[in-house]
Amino acid sequence: MAAVAATAAPKGNGGGGGRAGPSEGSGTRRKKGPGPLATAYLVIYNVVMTAGWLVIAVGLVRAYLAKGSYHSLYYSIEKPLKFFQTGALLEILHCAIGIVPSSVVLTSFQVMSRVFLIWAVTHSVKEVQTEDSVLLFVTAWTITEIIRYSFYTFSLLNHLPYLIKWARYTLFIVLYPMGVSGELLTIYAALPFVRQAGLYSISLPNKYNFSFDYYAFLILIMISYIPLFPQLYFHMIHQRRKVLCHTEEHKKFE
Amino acid sequence: VEILDAKTREKLCFLDKVEPQATIAEIKNLFTKTQGKSLKDEDVLQKLPVGTTATLYFRDLGAQISWVTVFLTEYAGPLFIYLLFYFRVPFIYGHKYDFTSSRHSVVHLACICHSFHYVKRLLETLFVHRFSHGTMPLRNIFKNCTYYWGFAAWMAYYINHPLYTPPTYGAQQVKLALAIFVICQLGNFSIHMALRDLRPAGSKTRKIPYPTKNPFTWLFLLVSCPNYTYEVGSWIGFAIMTQCLPVALFSLVGFTQMTIWAKGKHRSYLKEFRDYPPLRMPIVPFLL
Repeated sequence: MAAVAATAAPKGNGGGGGRAGPSEGSGTRRKKGPGPLATAYLVIYNVVMTAGWLVIAVGLVRAYLAKGSYHSLYYSIEKPLKFFQTGALLEILHCAIGIVPSSVVLTSFQVMSRVFLIWAVTHSVKEVQTEDSVLLFVTAWTITEIIRYSFYTFSLLNHLPYLIKWARYTLFIVLYPMGVSGELLTIYAALPFVRQAGLYSISLPNKYNFSFDYYAFLILIMISYIPLFPQLYFHMIHQRRKVLCHTEEHKKFE
Repeated sequence: VEILDAKTREKLCFLDKVEPQATIAEIKNLFTKTQGKSLKDEDVLQKLPVGTTATLYFRDLGAQISWVTVFLTEYAGPLFIYLLFYFRVPFIYGHKYDFTSSRHSVVHLACICHSFHYVKRLLETLFVHRFSHGTMPLRNIFKNCTYYWGFAAWMAYYINHPLYTPPTYGAQQVKLALAIFVICQLGNFSIHMALRDLRPAGSKTRKIPYPTKNPFTWLFLLVSCPNYTYEVGSWIGFAIMTQCLPVALFSLVGFTQMTIWAKGKHRSYLKEFRDYPPLRMPIVPFLL
């Protein structure tokens, strides 16, 4: 049974703060962007991150050329990877204080899942560091992040080249499944070692009457990809249609 | 006075019988009173700030379910689920433990306290509480039941486990915890009764709650929502009694949610009543 609520007039927005002058009314207030100081900081942040992921990209290429094979390249970029991916935690703060208009929950989720893979899986289970699946997700992340951070940089400076916009909303079609595959394969490879060492697990009896099985937890994480990945993927496809077709329309009227 | 939207030129409001001497501020006041907030069932058409033609906007709130139904369902679950673990129903612990009983007295005490808590809540829902709204969105029942039932199962699993470890400081710890729990349960009940007495049956009036002769209600001097304060206290008592980390985590999550609610309630009190006692904090005396 649907319930109804009644209002006597259309819902106003912006409250009673407008001046009742002849040219203004208490109409809608547009969402303000970040102030000039916040914009400057964000530009610096995004430039630094772009540079950081470029360092990782270059590091991977150089290591490949030096070694002659693509195995075990993780060690050559381990430190910048940890530093710059962990640095992305700041993005949660940016949303929380409002200088970036994204949702705190969504951003936390995305950044935490990356940080989890870097520290709680790859760093913690040394035996997987030589797996090729690590290269798979590191490569996907590197290309994605270089494009994403340069996209933000140019957007903040109001000077976004179409190529970057196109790249951001197109390359994910390949990079996203590539990254997810790398992540899942790496977690899967870690499982036997976690089981063997009882990593991050606590069993009964203990004085806090608590138990945690990291092995089972990792399996739950892998299962959670099944509902989550398609949702995020199709959301991006939907965004692509909106953003790229919109630009096409604009171009027509120029 | 006809008020139009500056951008769309839509007629927003028609204010009837506005005095020529009325200031713009007064007109703004009349106008903002009709913005956004829903009308109440009790409002009389004649008294609304509309002209000779009233335009009412209906908003479909989606599928609804009554508060009483939600409360009864979300509280009956933990009561029943905890007992499944207490009696060690098959397929939870190893088969050799089926229908056995814990050898620790605190486990039996914990079952009594947990069950008492939820029986109290069920009875209060049926006989004490006076709800402002009849219904809430249907999806809430799934969300709420997952929370209550999930945590109840998680806590009950460990407290009634064959490998349960009783509190480090033994009977002393349990006695102290029990005292905290009982005091807070009595306190919580006293507040619920005091709030009920503020509002006559069937009405939806809102008044500032004040301390009564019952000493448990004296917490109103320091806090807007002492019912939440006592509720958190009860769960802290239960956590100390069982020395079980999942109970502590449940208390923490509950505290976070109740703080959000308390702050909201505190804000509406401040908005509605000019003479609201300034010493009061939302949920924790002097602090939060």
